[in-house]
Amino acid sequence: MEMSDWAKGLPLRAGENFLGLYQPSPETAEYWEGVTRHEFLIKRCRSCAKLHHPRRILCSACGEPGMDWVRASGRGTVYSFSEIHRTTGIFSPATPYVVGIVALEEGVHIFTRFLPEEGAADKDNSSIRIGSAVSVEFQVLEQGMLLPVFRVGGE
Amino acid sequence: MKQLAGSCVIVGMGRSICKRGDPEKKTPLQLMVEAAGLAMKEAGINRTQIGAVFTGRMPRTYCSLQYNQAVLNELKIVPTFSSEVTSHGAGALGTIEMAVLAVQSGMIDYALCVCGEASPLWIEMVEGSANWEGDLQFEAPYGATTPSLYAQCAQRYMHEYGITPEQLAKVCVENRLWALDHPQAAMHKRGPISIDDVLNSKMIASPMRMLECATWFPGGIGSAAIVTRANLAKASPVKPTYIAGFGQCSTHEWIGERMGFWGVEPVTDGPNLVRTGASVAAKQAYAMSGFNPKDVDIVQTSAPFSFLNVLILEELGFCGVGEGGRFVESGGVDYDGGLPFNTTGGYLSFGQSGQGLYLLKEVMDQIKGCPEGRPVPGVEVGLVHGHGGPNACHSVMLVTGEPLN
Ligand SMILES: [Zn+2]
Repeated sequence: MEMSDWAKGLPLRAGENFLGLYQPSPETAEYWEGVTRHEFLIKRCRSCAKLHHPRRILCSACGEPGMDWVRASGRGTVYSFSEIHRTTGIFSPATPYVVGIVALEEGVHIFTRFLPEEGAADKDNSSIRIGSAVSVEFQVLEQGMLLPVFRVGGE
Repeated sequence: MKQLAGSCVIVGMGRSICKRGDPEKKTPLQLMVEAAGLAMKEAGINRTQIGAVFTGRMPRTYCSLQYNQAVLNELKIVPTFSSEVTSHGAGALGTIEMAVLAVQSGMIDYALCVCGEASPLWIEMVEGSANWEGDLQFEAPYGATTPSLYAQCAQRYMHEYGITPEQLAKVCVENRLWALDHPQAAMHKRGPISIDDVLNSKMIASPMRMLECATWFPGGIGSAAIVTRANLAKASPVKPTYIAGFGQCSTHEWIGERMGFWGVEPVTDGPNLVRTGASVAAKQAYAMSGFNPKDVDIVQTSAPFSFLNVLILEELGFCGVGEGGRFVESGGVDYDGGLPFNTTGGYLSFGQSGQGLYLLKEVMDQIKGCPEGRPVPGVEVGLVHGHGGPNACHSVMLVTGEPLN
């Protein structure tokens, strides 16, 4: 991914409303490159090895800026979630769908889409609860973007 | 900090409202400069006496960068100190906090604080909200909505403390009763609601249902205040309102990234979605003023969801951590006999108008005994909580009608 691309971004829309630009910024470009390879990457502080959200620039533990990318296991649990029943634009047909925060095994938390366990009835999200074990998958969501999502059970 | 307690006063408050369906549809800039004019008039000062201008963040419907410049340009004020104060919705009270620091230092004598919004008059509000509160890179592509971002906190709050949907619904019911008395409230003519009504209303983003979410104020509100030192208020034509204490705390920008922060209050020991900067802001405000929660006679909060109203009662010290549900359930904020809480109807029934000083105005009006809605007898100390972002920024301010000793 070219660094010069990020300022252009991908226009995000909800109906007629322009929401802004999806921006894989230079400090997260490798995360999105990992996604294209179906690899789920997080950051690790070069000084103290603390693991971080892919956005992090400075280490919140030691204050140092150097970060390496490491591959996460892709396993975790549902930390919190919300089943969306009302929205607009391209996401509307997908309702009810579940967004939330996954607690990765590595101790990092990240926002995501949760999917119910394999074999669940259509639109039945009842298997998604706080604490449910989840694992990463890669799916093209409503905007046409390939994204890491987390499914209950899985692997 | 204690030297700030009661050192400054509000000597003028102005508010301009335009409702959907009014013959003239006004822009937020119109409403804000009208409010500023009213505030100056009440304070008995003119534009040449204003030394500082602080605005809240730019309105969504009048996007102009450096919005404070648009305001001072229209008012033909030439301040020596000026800024847009942008900690989401907490920036509205933030303007008053900046004003106190500016006038108390002696650099200037009078500061004008002005905030406003008029989105529902001009744009479709349901669409395009999450981009103001969500992370465009890591949240928006998943289809996050503003309620679904707050709902992350609601889900944890209920999970960690066993807060029930009925307890959360109770606060909606009590808010509505106050709105029925308030002529400007969005739900003024919509009648009371029951706990069952709340629990049977449409699910928006679980666990938040329609009647648990803020309604938009059906129009626009501009609000403005003039702040000066208490000793200069002797010349003021109106009874001043004393700024007894204030505090502010901002913890994050996007809800997902919030989970990577701890080691400082309010999150000292690991990931947390249920404690907020409001507790830190409140502690600072209480410490500055010398008051404690028992001294507070009236409370307004800009919490836009049922759960956040209950949680904020904990954060402000009106009940213990995790006790909010039981506090509300046992009548803690009952319209009859409870702590007077959201006496305009709150964000759930008065309506949310971007950000503004209209909740501060309600407290000042109650202190002076001239509220628009139901009067609360004997208000001496009032608390206003301003909040914005998904639980990101919090301001708390304590005001009184009499000088502090
Ligand atoms: Zn480190």
